[in-house]
Amino acid sequence: MKIPIEWLKEYVQTDKSPKEIADSFTALGLLLDKPIYEYKNDGYETSVLDLEHRMDRSDWLSIIGCARDFAAFENSELKLPSQTRTECRKQGNDTKVEIKVECPDLVNRFYTRVFTDLKVGPSPIWLKNRLEAYGIPSINNVVDITNYVMVETGQPMHAQDIDKMEKPEIIIRRARQGESVVTLLGETVKLDESAFVLTQNDKPTVIGGIVGGAGTGVDEATTKIVLDAGNYNQTNIRKTSRKLKIQNETVLRYDKYLHPELAKIAIERASQLILELAGGTCFDNEDWYENPLGYKQLDFTYSRLEKVSGMLIHLDKIDSILSKLGYKVIEKTNEGLKLEIPYYRTDIEVEDDIIADVLRINNYANIPTAIVPFTPPSEITPAIYIFEEKLRDILVNLGLHGFITDPLVKTDDRKDSQVLLENALSSEKGAMRTSLFETLEPVILEYKKHKQDSVKLYELGRVYNTSSVGSRNYSDYSEIRKVCGVFWEKDKTPYEISKITKEILSGLLFNLGITSYSVENKNLLINGNEAGVIKYNGFELNTESLIANQALPTRILTSYDSESEKDFTFNIPVSKEFGEILEQIKNSSNSINRVEIIGEYRKSNEEKAITVRVYYTGEIDSKEIQNIG
Amino acid sequence: MPLSLEDIKLLEKQFLADLKESSLLGEFDELYLKYFSKNHGTITKLMKLVPELSAEEKRKVAAELNKVSEKIKAQIETAREQATLESIGDPMIDLSYLLPPQKTGMMHPTETVIRELDKFFRYYGFSVVDGQEIEEAEFNFRKLNLPEGHPATDLQDTLFISEPDILMRTHTSSIESRVLTQYDPPIRAVASGKVYRNETASQTNTPFFHHYQGFVVDKGITIQHLKGTLTELHKFLFGDDVVLRFRYKYYPEVSPGMGTDMLCKFCKGAGCSVCKGRGWIESLGSGMIHYNTLKACGIDPDVYTGYAFGLGLDRLVMQKFGLDDIRKFYGGGIVFR
Repeated sequence: MKIPIEWLKEYVQTDKSPKEIADSFTALGLLLDKPIYEYKNDGYETSVLDLEHRMDRSDWLSIIGCARDFAAFENSELKLPSQTRTECRKQGNDTKVEIKVECPDLVNRFYTRVFTDLKVGPSPIWLKNRLEAYGIPSINNVVDITNYVMVETGQPMHAQDIDKMEKPEIIIRRARQGESVVTLLGETVKLDESAFVLTQNDKPTVIGGIVGGAGTGVDEATTKIVLDAGNYNQTNIRKTSRKLKIQNETVLRYDKYLHPELAKIAIERASQLILELAGGTCFDNEDWYENPLGYKQLDFTYSRLEKVSGMLIHLDKIDSILSKLGYKVIEKTNEGLKLEIPYYRTDIEVEDDIIADVLRINNYANIPTAIVPFTPPSEITPAIYIFEEKLRDILVNLGLHGFITDPLVKTDDRKDSQVLLENALSSEKGAMRTSLFETLEPVILEYKKHKQDSVKLYELGRVYNTSSVGSRNYSDYSEIRKVCGVFWEKDKTPYEISKITKEILSGLLFNLGITSYSVENKNLLINGNEAGVIKYNGFELNTESLIANQALPTRILTSYDSESEKDFTFNIPVSKEFGEILEQIKNSSNSINRVEIIGEYRKSNEEKAITVRVYYTGEIDSKEIQNIG
Repeated sequence: MPLSLEDIKLLEKQFLADLKESSLLGEFDELYLKYFSKNHGTITKLMKLVPELSAEEKRKVAAELNKVSEKIKAQIETAREQATLESIGDPMIDLSYLLPPQKTGMMHPTETVIRELDKFFRYYGFSVVDGQEIEEAEFNFRKLNLPEGHPATDLQDTLFISEPDILMRTHTSSIESRVLTQYDPPIRAVASGKVYRNETASQTNTPFFHHYQGFVVDKGITIQHLKGTLTELHKFLFGDDVVLRFRYKYYPEVSPGMGTDMLCKFCKGAGCSVCKGRGWIESLGSGMIHYNTLKACGIDPDVYTGYAFGLGLDRLVMQKFGLDDIRKFYGGGIVFR
């Protein structure tokens, strides 16, 4: 929200510098977003604040709404423009514009007036300057007034030239598929049934709540207008404007929650200004308002304020803050106040929101600081979280670098368990990964590109699966924690890289105290259960399997001389997997404590030699072991 | 035959020969054992003969044996040290330069920052919790006071798996609503993880961020405790001289909401390019957990109060590791060496 300070001062008196005013707004919840800038034109000068607006407060999209909070914060008076009712003539048949709403689900209120004998021309200099300082170009006095009142009150308004209409009517209905409107900016916008339009003679003249059409626009030749202030379904406007990619000052306000009461305030204010600046005569016209919205009431208790803030604020101060913000006290008790919420505060939902107002105007800087003094509650950290920290430590100690990759991947029809995203912006990122290899392996290319000779990476992350693609059932989706390692080294053959993989994987298992494992068909089995997969250049394991099987690593030796060792070498065809032989050796005698691979050689393209060292207590039958191979 | 001074002389002679040999081999442990081993050591054996001597001989011979024994021990030690010194004196040992480093691996910078933050909060009695990334709208939005149709729940921002009910979580507040629903207060926990937004999902952008979230629910929790926790957190992250500003800020899942800014270190509040002219840098969002949120999670908001805060980790990680583009951290552009 932009605030020309000269304009602000119409409603609240202050001697503060622009910087100080900006600081006050920041404390109030309107953060100074961009540097303060100076607007200068023909002797007119003002600083302009550009404040960040969050989506809750629709009244903060009006200068008056901002001025009201500022006045309360500074403890100054708020001076509002006079709200005396404009003298309007009763409508006669010749000036009447028929109003009909065919989509009452999208329209809450549609307040209209008709003006005749207008003199449309340039705006007076003060009006022009204020609008342009705000950032809206001046068009002519009538259009400028609708914009001015919008910025002043927060209510978007619209004027149409009655003489440009084929029929004096405004019928509001949903747009038809393929219907289009040429906007005031000259763009042709194609519509569908999700939008609604203001029509005359069944022709759309305005995209409801979004942008006016060129067909009935007000220009210097205009003498007769119908002025409207509508209140519409905010969700519809937000969705439609995004779909049409139209963002403007009108949409900015209409996609917030505006109270229909505001339409009346704005119509009155605009009527005054039109009669003052463009002359002519004002006629009443229909105020379509089928289901008038009342005012909300809430209780405010002093005990709740203390409960939330821990502060005791003087009752007079509370009263003063609330009344300056426009709350009406309906009843006062010892416990607190029954309040009527001002219509423009559509953001107030619960009592704590009123407390927020009190603390805000009292300045958050005045809230004391304390440390939670109570004993910590029970520990609820999941064991798997602590275990993952341990995995990271082990992998880092084994020389691996941690990586985090983007879990979004290309959609792939061949993967029937892939979780698909319904509204991804591109199919390149249209699904969730089903394996960490998918996203971690490509990082090796980055390392190669950056001329690194050795790559050892790990990622602890999740893979995502569904048992039924596109299912609307949450339980059909699962996330599985995995730990993945990938390896590459310059000038090494895949065979040599596979040795790195095996060494690191066994290092990980060793440090986890997992000794009972084997590899079958590229699957790692721990205690006979599948725990992950192994490739020549990496592995991917289920974190849950690891935590279930971890034990205290046997790194502390307590006996030194009772164990004997003996080496055996086996010559086997390269195509034969050694894992099975290894298992047989381990299981051949109860005397064997463990078996370690101490060497692996490729003797020829047909034959490999593997040397194992058998650690045993007591006796072993060497012949039997050698015969296993 | 009783032990005599002659035996001791022979012992000394034999030892000198043995010492010479051992020195050549640089092996002194065996030599020591040869003389002093508990069962078979030469000197140990001689010592065992001492009780058989007469009192007078004992004075003479035993004293001599003790003296020689000590001397031999000392000679072995001296020779051992000498040998070590000699080997260090190897002309091939050049200590005037170092070799390329032996490296450990390193955690990902984001993992490192999360771990630091976890440690900090565990000190204050927080548990560390986590949750699913595939979430239900119920926990990602509804329980957090984000009713259907709220701007933040728009298609524009959320990556849906099955609209409107199943989605990729858009913030770690979903973990908060899960934990508040699952556990009874008092609760004190932090959580972190990936969160997803549709607006940035493209080939060049990361469609996910990392959030860090904390929440406390107990009897007697006030906004003062929130301020206190955030003050300590900022000191931990940015040093004791950090200057903070607390202000009202709206977030749907809290009321009253609170924003926190740090005075810009570069311009000290004057406004510069780092702080985009503001003089302050926004650091995080927070507030008292919304009345409706507590209620929706099955906690009586008239009995319990709580606070919550959340921060984007990626900017913090960039700051700490001196990087200007977050995308580089997640799969592309940089390598760790």
